[in-house]
Amino acid sequence: MLGGDLFDFWVGPFYVGFFGVTTIFFAALGTALIAWGAALQGTGNIWRISIAPPPLSVGLGLAPLAQGGLWQLITICAIGAFVSWALRQAEIARKLGMGLHVPFAFSFAIFAYVSLVVIRPLLLGAWGNGFPYGIISHLDWVSNVGYQYLSFHYNPAHMLAITFFFTNVLALSLHASLVLSAINPPAGETAKTAEHENTFFRDAIGYSIGTLGIHRLGMFLAISASFWSGVCIILSGPFWTQGWPAWWSWWLNLPFWSGH
Amino acid sequence: MKMSTSFAIAAVTVVLIGLALTLTSPPVDVVQNGYRGTGLALVYNPRDVKTELASSKVPEALPRAPDSGPAAGKVYQNVQVLGDVSVGNFARLMVSITTWVAPQQGCSYCHVAGNFAADTLYTKIVARRMLKMVKFINAHWTTHVGAVGVTCFTCHRGQNIPAYTWFTPDPPHARGIMESDTGEARPAPVAGLSALPFDPINTFLVNNAEIRVQSETALPAGDRASTKQTEWTYALMMHFSQSLGVNCVFCHNSRAFEQWQQSTPQRATAWYGIRMVRALNTQYLGPLVSVLPVDQRGPLGDGPKVVCATCHQGVYKPLFGNPLAQQFPELWHDAATPAAEMPAGATKP
Amino acid sequence: MAEFQNIFTRVKVHGPAYPGVPLTPGEVWPRQMTPVFVSLLGRIGDAQVGPIRLGWTGIASLISGFIAIEIIGLNMMASVNWSPIQFVRQLPWLALEPPPPGIGLALFPPLAEGGWWLLAGFFLTAAILLWWLRLYLMARSLRMGTHVAWAFAAAIWLYLVLGFIRPILMGSWGEAPPFGIFPHLDWTASFSLRYGNLFYDPFHMLSIVFLYGSAVLFAMHGATVLAISRFGGEREVEQALDRGTAFERGALFWRWTMGFNATAESIHRWAWWFAVLCPLCGGIGILLSGTVVDNWYLWGVKHGIAPAYPPLWPPVADPATLPGAPQ
Repeated sequence: MLGGDLFDFWVGPFYVGFFGVTTIFFAALGTALIAWGAALQGTGNIWRISIAPPPLSVGLGLAPLAQGGLWQLITICAIGAFVSWALRQAEIARKLGMGLHVPFAFSFAIFAYVSLVVIRPLLLGAWGNGFPYGIISHLDWVSNVGYQYLSFHYNPAHMLAITFFFTNVLALSLHASLVLSAINPPAGETAKTAEHENTFFRDAIGYSIGTLGIHRLGMFLAISASFWSGVCIILSGPFWTQGWPAWWSWWLNLPFWSGH
Repeated sequence: MKMSTSFAIAAVTVVLIGLALTLTSPPVDVVQNGYRGTGLALVYNPRDVKTELASSKVPEALPRAPDSGPAAGKVYQNVQVLGDVSVGNFARLMVSITTWVAPQQGCSYCHVAGNFAADTLYTKIVARRMLKMVKFINAHWTTHVGAVGVTCFTCHRGQNIPAYTWFTPDPPHARGIMESDTGEARPAPVAGLSALPFDPINTFLVNNAEIRVQSETALPAGDRASTKQTEWTYALMMHFSQSLGVNCVFCHNSRAFEQWQQSTPQRATAWYGIRMVRALNTQYLGPLVSVLPVDQRGPLGDGPKVVCATCHQGVYKPLFGNPLAQQFPELWHDAATPAAEMPAGATKP
Repeated sequence: MAEFQNIFTRVKVHGPAYPGVPLTPGEVWPRQMTPVFVSLLGRIGDAQVGPIRLGWTGIASLISGFIAIEIIGLNMMASVNWSPIQFVRQLPWLALEPPPPGIGLALFPPLAEGGWWLLAGFFLTAAILLWWLRLYLMARSLRMGTHVAWAFAAAIWLYLVLGFIRPILMGSWGEAPPFGIFPHLDWTASFSLRYGNLFYDPFHMLSIVFLYGSAVLFAMHGATVLAISRFGGEREVEQALDRGTAFERGALFWRWTMGFNATAESIHRWAWWFAVLCPLCGGIGILLSGTVVDNWYLWGVKHGIAPAYPPLWPPVADPATLPGAPQ
């Protein structure tokens, strides 16, 4: 553990650790900066608070605090807090003799965030391409960036990501249902077993992935959703500037059938 | 490693490389078009911009002749539109039109050798109509073309026939009891290759169907537009975007497409452009079909129609706003257009 | 690190095929198909495929679903004039569209003008409802809880709202989405455009919260179980009834990380509700659009949630409202 015994204690149920300290630091500072931004904006309405990135003209430089600089500092705090959280999860997992799968999975969510506020803005040459920190304002940003490509549904990586998101919901509902249906049988019945779980799915669709397999599958689906989300936004702009429907012309123009 | 595994890895690599080849790469130009952090921006590939600049070269205008001297209508016969232009500038305009529309064929594209006054060739009839149309645009549609105006070159670009006109499409589909003719659900080049309706042009730029679909009140208050109707408007908007080389946020804030207070000034310019194109199609292009040879009509026998791309050709301002027309004042007066042909509400000269 | 992560099974244990929990005496339908073993599947999960248990509901559902698919596919073929090459080439764009809005809620629209869509919708709905019944009866037959069926019911709710309930409330089959890959995406975008930006619909917001939340949960739960699989953590039924070191460690992991934790059973309740509330709220959000709210952005302005951005230019006037405007 980093820091040896210095931070190796709990506060209530929370484990601290070195990365607990860094998490608190970044999270507190970031939250305070957001509150300051809200004060500068002059609103206390939680839906309307918005801390916006710098204008594109600042490029990759540092902006004055009230003109996007605050956004930049909050972003640094966010990344610091998220990475600290993941490393703290690694500390805790090691302490409990567990594998590191949880921080590994979480790092894909961090990737999705970083792709939006660091990777894509870097490739486009301006921090101002990041999304604003505001509950409704970040949705306005998503809408406008989507319509920059006329119809974002046609982005193939976006299609993949959505497929993974929806399949994940399906798989989660099935897995949760299956386990609950085994240990919560109708009144008067004894609790059922893993054999019943397998039998249910084999009877229903001819295949049961099994108790270990479903957790591999679930983690894979969830991580893939995050991964392809990051890819789909990185592609938009740096690697494609037209409407996304037009990307499909390569399919329509394949030599063996485009003569028709 | 097993054969099947290496084969699978090779196949996946080939597919990924192929897909990567369909994309472009940085650097990319992003132009901010609203308050910071709203996502209102235009995205351009610098290589595409270079290509567009190269293909928007405007031919040098000949120097003007003196306006003094006899008028063309007094010297030549059968001059119906440009009668009050001086002979010198009349000839200048004719030479320019040749450069703009028929550089290969020269004067004989429209005129019979030895009898320039004759209306024998259909091209002369069309050209006369086109001259009236150009004057109509420059005189009555400054709300759209501003002080830049248009010339024959704006659309024709040195070609007999403009590269971007519209014919009513007739894609092959079965007839009978199968559902086959819904006006959408096939790749639509006019709508950016989406599956949106493939002919919003006749609906909105020839006829004047209502384009607006969003309600102006939060609660229902009589807006009867359907989701399906919205797809038609969306297809038209895709055409606008493609024709101008811009995206939706050039004119709109997408969080509230309908709200004018959150739209850009370009949206108003576009509003006038729509009305202008409708007038051009109904009053100038439509009646021309009977004059055109059959091989210049569409698959359903209709004549060509003007769309945004006809002038804009992928650029937000045709020819990047080159004011060539300002060097041809003959193209700005509209004394020849009879009052009956002026649409209600068009700006007076 | 050279530690085994238990992502792929290294040593595939191959025992005799498991025929399934014994059927209740008196059950009519036997199990069909001799089980086979697929090695590739065995790398990530169970290798056994089969046996399957068809029943009346299963067979009826499959037939009904097959009819629906045939109606959709043949109409798509017709729309490209029966060319098989163009069918494959244009397949992502092709559709079977609902009736045009002018036809309203006619029970028998002309076949070529939405009649086939209505038929396909009927058979697809029948297939889905029969499948629901199948899942319900399957659980009863195995004397398990019916949680799977009720979770499926939430998805059926969304499906029925989209294709049946809302079109009826709006008085037009034409409001429903088409069958087609790109066309149903165009419908989704157009729906949001027509109703003033669905991002401002609070039930849409909730549905997305539960969609993303489900991804967070399955990432957390899947990863946790894999991380404790060295202690047998994937044996969740046993861990729920008699907690062992696997879920003790798993629970402590989250307690120490975020201050609270679930149990082997309760994590599945969190998961069930997050997954089920996604289509449930989504269906509500769709149902309210056009019936109760006509423009969600304006609704948001009315309720004070829409942020204001500093304007960069003077307000643009609607040219249609200016005097002397052309029509």
